[in-house]
Amino acid sequence: MRMTAAIAGGIFGLLGAAGQAFFHIIPPPAYGICIACHMRDLVNWIAAHIYPIYGLKASGALIIPGGPVSYNFPLLTIVGILIGAVIAAHVNGEFKWKTMRVWWQKPLAEFFLGILVMISALIFGGCPIRTALKAGYLDITAIIGLVAIGVGVFVGCQALRKLT
Amino acid sequence: MDLVPPIASIIMGFIMGYLGQRARMCFVGGMRDYYLVKDTYLIKGLIAFIVCALAGFFLFQFASAAVKTFPWFLDGGAVFAKKWKATGVTATPSPLLPVPGDPITWSPKAWAHILLAVLGGFGLGFFCCIAGGCPFRQHIMAAEGSKSAIVYLVGFALGAVIFHKFIAPLVKAILA
Repeated sequence: MRMTAAIAGGIFGLLGAAGQAFFHIIPPPAYGICIACHMRDLVNWIAAHIYPIYGLKASGALIIPGGPVSYNFPLLTIVGILIGAVIAAHVNGEFKWKTMRVWWQKPLAEFFLGILVMISALIFGGCPIRTALKAGYLDITAIIGLVAIGVGVFVGCQALRKLT
Repeated sequence: MDLVPPIASIIMGFIMGYLGQRARMCFVGGMRDYYLVKDTYLIKGLIAFIVCALAGFFLFQFASAAVKTFPWFLDGGAVFAKKWKATGVTATPSPLLPVPGDPITWSPKAWAHILLAVLGGFGLGFFCCIAGGCPFRQHIMAAEGSKSAIVYLVGFALGAVIFHKFIAPLVKAILA
């Protein structure tokens, strides 16, 4: 069967809900799938275990900044995605070293874009995937955020038209 | 130590990575393609995600105690109220508050969360559009061998540290 985005999106949505319902990925609620939050949990967990001062609060307790579910051991979604995508790319012969051609997607520019995307995502409280998951959880701020993402993409498209 | 969440999340991540690579799944790319070339292939994925998540939460609330606060606006932030009481804050729960638990969602003020949602959402859409895909798509592209995407992931990880070291205290101080 050919995998289309609609089928994949439906499976992801069910996985996100099932992660909270059956696999203890709570608290916070609607946390089953998130790229930015799970990356943040992983990075902060590692950083706080290498440099304990990073997670130390004034009271002396080690508090790792991130979702409470990741205090003891972080969620490994990022690792799973990378392994799965590498295997999929190799099995289907789509792996190839390459660099984007346009200047704003060259590696140095992408480095700063990565920082900016992560900061925006954490200000809002989730990457686009978790925004959609929270919208499915009927969180009104997430629905507002989804509209704001749409506006941001629209302005970004105008900028892309100017750049090209 | 409860090891179910990490093991479940690595398996879920594996499934998502494999299917996402096959389907070229991207959540921001759907809106971008629709604006730019009126292509609906990817935006169907976003809509299917929201519909299936809604259906999943609705069905699973009967099967699991972990989804008991599902119609979130009916609860209206009663979970918050307990926490506020412990810290001495008096405030009325509001349905406009986001789901609790994130380090950034601390405030009893609904307008602060709406402001953060608008600011963060706009920045997220704009920068993802310029970068050429949502964070999930960048992970897939990194696994396909794009050097740009691999460097993006380094910046992505560094952004989390910058946020928690500098931006989060600033935001809390401004909106407190």
